[in-house]
Amino acid sequence: MSFEFYKPANIDEASKLLKNSGYVAIVGGTDTIVKIKANFYKALKALVDLNGLFSKEIKVEGDKCIIGSACVMNYIAEHPVIKENFPVLAQAALSVAAVQIRNTATIGGNVGNSSPVGDTIPALYSLEAEVNIVSDEGKRVVPINEFITGVGRNVLKPGEMIESFAIPMRKTKGSFQKLGERKALSISKINLGLSYWNDGKPHYRIALGAVAITVLRVPKAEELLENSPLPLTDEVIQQAATYAVETAKPITDIRSTKEYRKQMAGVLLKRALNAIRE
Amino acid sequence: MNSEVNEIEIQFNLNGQDLKTKVLPGMTVLEMIRRNFKLTATKEGCGKGECGACSILFNGLPINSCLKLAATLTPTDKIVTVEGLANDELMQRIQKAYVDEGAVQCGFCIPGMTISTYSLLKKNPKPTMDEIKFALAGNICRCTGYRKIEAAVAKAAERGEK
Ligand SMILES: Cc1cc2nc3c(=O)[nH]c(=O)nc-3n(C[C@H](O)[C@H](O)[C@H](O)COP(=O)(O)OP(=O)(O)OC[C@H]3O[C@@H](n4cnc5c(N)ncnc54)[C@H](O)[C@@H]3O)c2cc1C
Ligand code: FES
Ligand code: FES
Repeated sequence: MSFEFYKPANIDEASKLLKNSGYVAIVGGTDTIVKIKANFYKALKALVDLNGLFSKEIKVEGDKCIIGSACVMNYIAEHPVIKENFPVLAQAALSVAAVQIRNTATIGGNVGNSSPVGDTIPALYSLEAEVNIVSDEGKRVVPINEFITGVGRNVLKPGEMIESFAIPMRKTKGSFQKLGERKALSISKINLGLSYWNDGKPHYRIALGAVAITVLRVPKAEELLENSPLPLTDEVIQQAATYAVETAKPITDIRSTKEYRKQMAGVLLKRALNAIRE
Repeated sequence: MNSEVNEIEIQFNLNGQDLKTKVLPGMTVLEMIRRNFKLTATKEGCGKGECGACSILFNGLPINSCLKLAATLTPTDKIVTVEGLANDELMQRIQKAYVDEGAVQCGFCIPGMTISTYSLLKKNPKPTMDEIKFALAGNICRCTGYRKIEAAVAKAAERGEK
């Protein structure tokens, strides 16, 4: 295990370094170090330390809530703006691993790692978040549902980094659900983010993780729910769950079977809808 | 050690002392505190974030030192290990409660357990049993079955009320 280590002083320098092949960005390191130890990177030449370059804070700017990419899970889970307005994200962040990891694991790393089981990702989908990307050549904005392109793959080009996430500022209700081997320290077999808001009209956003190579929305269920009077009846919730089962296209792997995951997509949606019913 | 590889000079605060040291790019904080500073209370169990034996306080918060690279440390970073809390009133109360409850068998997990207990009780001096379990969820013990550890945390909290 022999590689170089760079601590760039600014975003420009970091971006130039990351254009070299075999150069990998590191922040919390909870994914990167496990991968290095497991010999995942066949041609690792250098680590580029992004600590200190991006914000570790959450701010409301105009009609957006801006989450710095270096925010760690516990900070997000405990932040009053997130708890008040985006409960799905607070719950997702709190469901990651255990307290020690939540104090170093960043949201930028969770999305940057682009694993189909990353827990903040379905939450960000359900909140219609945007990813603010930066490099030495400028900035661009990509909606979260266009950011991840496959297992461990995303739209970042060499030299590009995640600066922050922007969530439309509105009060939502929501629920994050996940199934793992045990409560703490388990990677999701399947997870689900649900957000609901009402701006004169009800809106539901349902995002399923670990049931395909990227997160899937369940538009048929969203439409059904948006056209159903409140409070939702058990029949409507059951029908929405059936749509979630139909939408899920999971695989069988070491964590679970595809049949189980498909059924559980419906169960998790029912749990989430019941959780936001008063 | 391979001397051709670039060593990186880092500065940080360890158990209250400002220090400088040289580390290899891939060295974890865990390896550094054990090898460079001979502070061996902090243990390596799994080496991948799952067991908590390597727990330390990083800027006041518990983290797994096996997953943090030493090279990422900066002069404002503060690391505290169990050794650094030897004279701390709360840590002593916790250690005494572990002994009194018979919560220590082989002892391998205990430095990590007591670090997690310490950061729980600092933040929340009167935790419920559920809060105790949640705070210790990242620490594995292969000996005790956890009951006595949970009882020790509760006892440390109770004794702090006086
Ligand atoms: C024991 C254990 C349990 C875990 N449990 C869970 C869990 O329950 N749920 C879950 O979702 N995850 C879990 N994880 C995974 C992990 O903790 C998260 O994915 C974490 O959020 C990654 O953040 P980091 O800062 O540590 O990332 P790093 O390891 O530093 O980086 C991860 C990846 O993202 C890239 N990256 C980081 N920051 C940026 C940026 N600003 N711009 C561009 N690219 C970037 C890196 O290059 C790297 O490829 C677990 C990990 C461990 C070790
Ligand atoms: S050695 Fe660090 S968590 Fe197991
Ligand atoms: S006392 Fe042996 S592992 Fe906990």
